[in-house]
Amino acid sequence: MAENSITHQSHRKTLKLIKLQEQLTGYLFILPALIIILIFGIFPIGYSIYMSLFNWQVTKGPFIGDKNYLLIFGSWWNLLVLVAGIGLLILGSLVWGKAFQSMKSGQRLAHIAGALVLILGGVIFVTGWGMMYESGNKDFLNSLIVTVYYALGTVPAEIIIGLVLAYILYQDIIGKEAFRMIYFLPYITPSISSAVVFQIIFSSRETSLANRILALFGADPLKWRFEPRPVLKLLGINVSGLAGGPSLALLTIIIFGIWSFVGYNTVIFLSGLGNIPKEIYEAAEIDGGSKWDRFWHITIPMISPVTFYLTLIGFIGTFKAFNHIYVMRTPSAQNSVVTTSLLVFDRFYKANQYGVATAQAIVLFVIILGLTLAQNKIMGERVFYG
Amino acid sequence: MRRTSVLFVAVILIASLVLGACAKATEAPAPTEAPVKTEAPTEAPVVTEAPTEAPTEVDPWADVVPAKEIVWWHQHTGSKREAAIAKIVEDFNKTNPYGITVKAEYAGDYGDIFNKMLPILNTPDVPDVVVGYQNQVATYQLANAMFDMNELINHPKYGLTKEEQEDFFPGFFAQDVLSLFNNQRLGLAPNRSMEVMYYNMDWLKELGYDAPPTTPEQFKEMACKAAKTPFSGATEGEASPIGYELSIDTSRFASWTFAFGGDMFDYTANQFTLNSDAAVQAWTFIQSLFAEGCARLVTENYGDQTDFGNGTLLFSVGSSSGLPYYGDAVAADGTPFEWSVAAIPHTTPDPVQNVYGASVSIPKSTPERELAAWLFVKYYTSADVNAEWAKASGYFPVKQSVAAKFQDVFDANPAYKTAFDLLKFGKFEPPVPGYDFVRDNVIEPVMTNIVDDPTADVKALLDQANIDANAILAEQMAQVK
Repeated sequence: MAENSITHQSHRKTLKLIKLQEQLTGYLFILPALIIILIFGIFPIGYSIYMSLFNWQVTKGPFIGDKNYLLIFGSWWNLLVLVAGIGLLILGSLVWGKAFQSMKSGQRLAHIAGALVLILGGVIFVTGWGMMYESGNKDFLNSLIVTVYYALGTVPAEIIIGLVLAYILYQDIIGKEAFRMIYFLPYITPSISSAVVFQIIFSSRETSLANRILALFGADPLKWRFEPRPVLKLLGINVSGLAGGPSLALLTIIIFGIWSFVGYNTVIFLSGLGNIPKEIYEAAEIDGGSKWDRFWHITIPMISPVTFYLTLIGFIGTFKAFNHIYVMRTPSAQNSVVTTSLLVFDRFYKANQYGVATAQAIVLFVIILGLTLAQNKIMGERVFYG
Repeated sequence: MRRTSVLFVAVILIASLVLGACAKATEAPAPTEAPVKTEAPTEAPVVTEAPTEAPTEVDPWADVVPAKEIVWWHQHTGSKREAAIAKIVEDFNKTNPYGITVKAEYAGDYGDIFNKMLPILNTPDVPDVVVGYQNQVATYQLANAMFDMNELINHPKYGLTKEEQEDFFPGFFAQDVLSLFNNQRLGLAPNRSMEVMYYNMDWLKELGYDAPPTTPEQFKEMACKAAKTPFSGATEGEASPIGYELSIDTSRFASWTFAFGGDMFDYTANQFTLNSDAAVQAWTFIQSLFAEGCARLVTENYGDQTDFGNGTLLFSVGSSSGLPYYGDAVAADGTPFEWSVAAIPHTTPDPVQNVYGASVSIPKSTPERELAAWLFVKYYTSADVNAEWAKASGYFPVKQSVAAKFQDVFDANPAYKTAFDLLKFGKFEPPVPGYDFVRDNVIEPVMTNIVDDPTADVKALLDQANIDANAILAEQMAQVK
């Protein structure tokens, strides 16, 4: 009996040792990657935060605490109001969908309460934004709006066009391999060189390709990359502020962004389509489902993990986008194409205000992080993993 | 669920619209703040007086032995320029009596060099000689990182003689003396370019003129006539003719402001003067050209060269370094026309031409390295070497005496000779820290607003630009300890 106990204890010890060895081996395997991430990923972020707390221009100046951040927000109170507004918007959406479920007329009550909270959140958010706009850095806040325009202009279009192209290429059409390659080409073309080609296509010259196409429809030539006025204004709709929409110059860059990334999305969607079991389609066909039904009720839900991934990557990418926007921007377009990445770059390399630039970069980083988390929460719940 | 989403989106949309209403549209700004004064030195930049007597104080350089090896960071590429640089360095290394060896290193373009310099200022890692624009060097000097050449330029043994100093074109020589830093000399010019007006002489003749314009009124008359009267030699039929194409570039802002008798900077008060009367007149003039259909914006990079070559553009204003490219553009399709360059039409008695170019500067290191670097800079900017370098690089030389050695170049390229004769009228853009930011973020947006909107209030726009530019300058100068 005692012998058994000793054997059992020894066996447990051995198991523990093996487990420990396994743990150590695991850590050793991830150690090189961890070191690289710490040095090249985490350390720069930490150092940027450190720099943002100093009056760091050409040389490191005195410690100024939160002053570089206050230049952006005007005051912490402004930020607090804005964040409270966002918090209420989130709360409102939760109330809308989840509150009073146990009550008889709970859904109706939830919708009423949710709507009230949402409206209150919207008003507080707008108030916070207005206060920030009044006393904070207008250039930075404008650049956020431009960035949002750019993201909303490119990501949904890239997703929709990518999905449609992938669906077409997934069918049995002749030369689909060649088409796959053609669609993928823009993605692997260096963005600088393709942006230069777009510069020529969307030149404001009367004889530019874009203007020649317009001329076919009897339209007057446009200034494209040089046009700072909002597209809606050019169409005769006089709306100002955020509702004015992107400038024609930004739209040109959006077109370039879509052209560049749609091929990548297509290829990823194609791999997603390949993973959907054929039997499901066959069963739906036997049940009389039309092509549209099959697409809408099978394809869309089954590739939702891919859509989620591409949307997430797309939004992060658009908020960080730099190269092609830098190449395609013109002085004439003014700040209508200055996204936050460009603004930070200018502040860093042209004004040499490293403290201010790093503070702006950190704020951008936090926004991207927040958006990623929000997307993860909102879209992640809707993803169908089979 | 769908209804839920629609309602949710509707709420967000309402919020967005309210937000939109809060965000103000960009409008011509009215001045909102008084300009922030930068500490002003007491004197305007002056060409350093060469001394006539030996200094009475102890010579700090008497016991300094020049370093044996120094490094020069430059941006020059292309086989011709690289070969010229290599020869200049080789000759110096062979002939200098101090046994100094210069190692010339290509360190990227101007921007690359600037970005490489910033983290190593005031460390032993700095190169001994570095190429840089005056505003870049001014930025380095915010950290007190550059050697003041005034310490050596008049030195009896190592300095430049009075004749050597006076041989520089005055504008070029004064350009590296920075009023913001107590008139320290932070560089010496080895070459320069200049803004000139390119014109199509054959077209002018067709329009009934026998010479290019010298005044803004003549310029406008000819430009407006050209916009209505296509050139018979035009090769791109679909493009409409135009008198002038403006590129949104601060150097154009400077050129036209100078031509109207103004300046962009007050070197006594050390403040931008973007809203001077001359600037307002100049940009009201340019605005009128656009309003009357006589001018338009350049449509793509170097689009003015293309249009000029195609015979659809009568006048263009740009750098003299573009001379060969304009020549190529004119000759491109085999139907060349007579063209040349002239001074930018001016309201002043003499022309006033915008000159620019990078200089060679010496970062602070040790006296031995600084002295060796200075001796190389002195050699590099000497008349004979300067002539050699100018011929190879295509830039203008900085020494007046070089003209005698340039007859072959003048004979081969009359336009170059015309431009060369204008060098003595050179004036420069502000050599101040943060100037790149002012160029891109203040002046160029204002230029766009002026030409885009014929009703824009030029004075109000320039007033606000001046406030913004001086605020940026004050931010920059706040770094000086």
